[in-house]
Amino acid sequence: MEKSEIESRLTPIFRDVFNDDALVVTEGMTATEVPTWDSLSNINMIIAVEKAFGVKFSIKDVRNLKNVGELLDLIKRKAP
Amino acid sequence: MKHAALSLDYFALAKEAKALNTSGAAKVIRVALLADCATQHLAEITRAIAARNNVQAEVYEGNYDGVDLEILDPNSALYVLNPQYVVILLSSEKLKAHLYASHDRRGFADETIGRLENLWTAFRAQSQATIIQCTFVLPSERAFGNYELKVAESVGSIFTEINYRLAIKARASKNVLLNDVDFLAASVGRTQWFDARMWNMAKTPCRLEHVPLLAQSLLDTVLAASGMFTKCVVLDLDNTLWGGVIGDDGLEGIALGEFDEGEAFVAFQTFIRELKRRGIILAVVSKNEHAAAVLPFREHPHMVLKEEDISVFVANWDNKADNIRLVQKTLNIGFDSLVFLDDNPFERNIVRQFLPDVVVPDLPEDPSLYLETLAGLNLFETASFSEADLQRADQYREEAQRELTKTHFTNINEYLTSLGMEIRLERFNAFNLPRIAQLIQRSNQFNLMTRRYGEAACEAMMSDPSVAPLTVKLADKFGDYGLISVVLLKDAGSDIEIDEYLMSCRVLQRGVESFTMNTIFSYAARQGAKRVTGHYLPTKKNDMVKGFFKSFGFEKIADGEGGASQWALAVDAYQPREIFMTPVANEL
Repeated sequence: MEKSEIESRLTPIFRDVFNDDALVVTEGMTATEVPTWDSLSNINMIIAVEKAFGVKFSIKDVRNLKNVGELLDLIKRKAP
Repeated sequence: MKHAALSLDYFALAKEAKALNTSGAAKVIRVALLADCATQHLAEITRAIAARNNVQAEVYEGNYDGVDLEILDPNSALYVLNPQYVVILLSSEKLKAHLYASHDRRGFADETIGRLENLWTAFRAQSQATIIQCTFVLPSERAFGNYELKVAESVGSIFTEINYRLAIKARASKNVLLNDVDFLAASVGRTQWFDARMWNMAKTPCRLEHVPLLAQSLLDTVLAASGMFTKCVVLDLDNTLWGGVIGDDGLEGIALGEFDEGEAFVAFQTFIRELKRRGIILAVVSKNEHAAAVLPFREHPHMVLKEEDISVFVANWDNKADNIRLVQKTLNIGFDSLVFLDDNPFERNIVRQFLPDVVVPDLPEDPSLYLETLAGLNLFETASFSEADLQRADQYREEAQRELTKTHFTNINEYLTSLGMEIRLERFNAFNLPRIAQLIQRSNQFNLMTRRYGEAACEAMMSDPSVAPLTVKLADKFGDYGLISVVLLKDAGSDIEIDEYLMSCRVLQRGVESFTMNTIFSYAARQGAKRVTGHYLPTKKNDMVKGFFKSFGFEKIADGEGGASQWALAVDAYQPREIFMTPVANEL
């Protein structure tokens, strides 16, 4: 899967989970830029992404994520 | 609760939770969640599910892992907030950790039960509120394998003992209800319930996708304790309590007994009888002649439910919304405490439409699945049980005898229009002959002459110029009912004679007869006939149509043997009936 495709599929998931209809996913995006991105919604986001892409992340995967770009890489690596 | 577990999607609910507006809610409940695991997800989903049930849930989350402190400290925030319900949710992971660290395994169950009992007592000293104690989910890993329960000090044995003793203690504690989280976990599968990764990352007590199930279960308990629970189950009969149609198939023909579908119906009835035993009132609302409807209750050897189990027994041909109103009025309980069980989607939908507060679960086609469908909905939650519950059904039964009076309120016409019914009046054709012959053989109730023509006779009519052999097919937005009526018209001098008229009882009260009669009379007029005539020939089962001709304005012109009668109506005297369907074919 191409990164651009992953990115466009992530946007509606992020909009739902972070409750922001104007949100557009970019590679450099971090939690601090999204006011509703807290520890609770972070878990929701991880589970929603796993479900949407049919992947499973390890705890280490999740803890190491620094920004959305790294999430894109992770999905690209794990997606079937 | 009204919302099926299937509709409890975690992400949909999480989204709903962000935009809740419960200002107009019928009820406000204040619940405290005290837990040694994370409760944020649970609190959010609890609010969302409550809102779907028109309840505003104010959820207070205690400090993480602060259960004992919140309860034991009389100055804690818990008592300031004064909740009506306090949920104590303790995770198996923490219990397991305490157990592994314990030096006294033999005393561990004692110690745990003692700790919880002490909390319950301390709470009761400070508050009138009800505690909802959750059971512990049995761990999936077993150090002993199947030998686990043979060893008193194994983790599995100790957990089992704690859950059991918790139940015993709760029975004796007036202010404590149980929420059986271990049952929930087992029903989805314990290995599916728990997500070690989520526990390690976020201390969630179960997989996120199961949080709604947990929230719903807690709310079921809370709402039952605050008076919102099922008091009465209203039952259909044909294809709900037994297979087949008693009026057509007869006592020997219905499926009820020791194998196949018959066994499924026996199992279903047995559960219904258990509900009665625990204080739920049973009512019957059935489209049947009363004599036919009570027959299995009195004479079928495999019938589990007896007439005396049913507090209100309504069998007639009125619409079911009216009949359920009658049940509600007779019992004098709220519509929202009624559950209506019927295999027929048409009947379910008419009740949903006219009585939106009545809980109407969809039943699957296979009666073997009735029980598991009901189990998934947990419709029979209660917060008490006493001797009085055992006698309730009999008390209501006596009162119902006095109160039962007929009433009509529902304006059915608008509803019928909304069904988008399409009707086809067609002549017999070779393709339909087997079904025509079958309907002629099987229809007993809505059958004016019961002539039982065979397939060969039907085939001959197709080429007989003096006969108009007709079939009626019906479909609506819920589905296609197929070929449901057979009418034979014969030229008889200046009359058109209705030689046979029968219809499946599945499509009663849709106005199919009105459409057909309108069409017969316009045909008679085109043919230049003076009158339309017909007979009513009584049988043991066709009492329901004895007034058929009269209802369309026919006059009785002759009496025959054994109650038979002949009827006629002048073509120009017929008043066309209003119809609520679209004719998509008319071959007459």
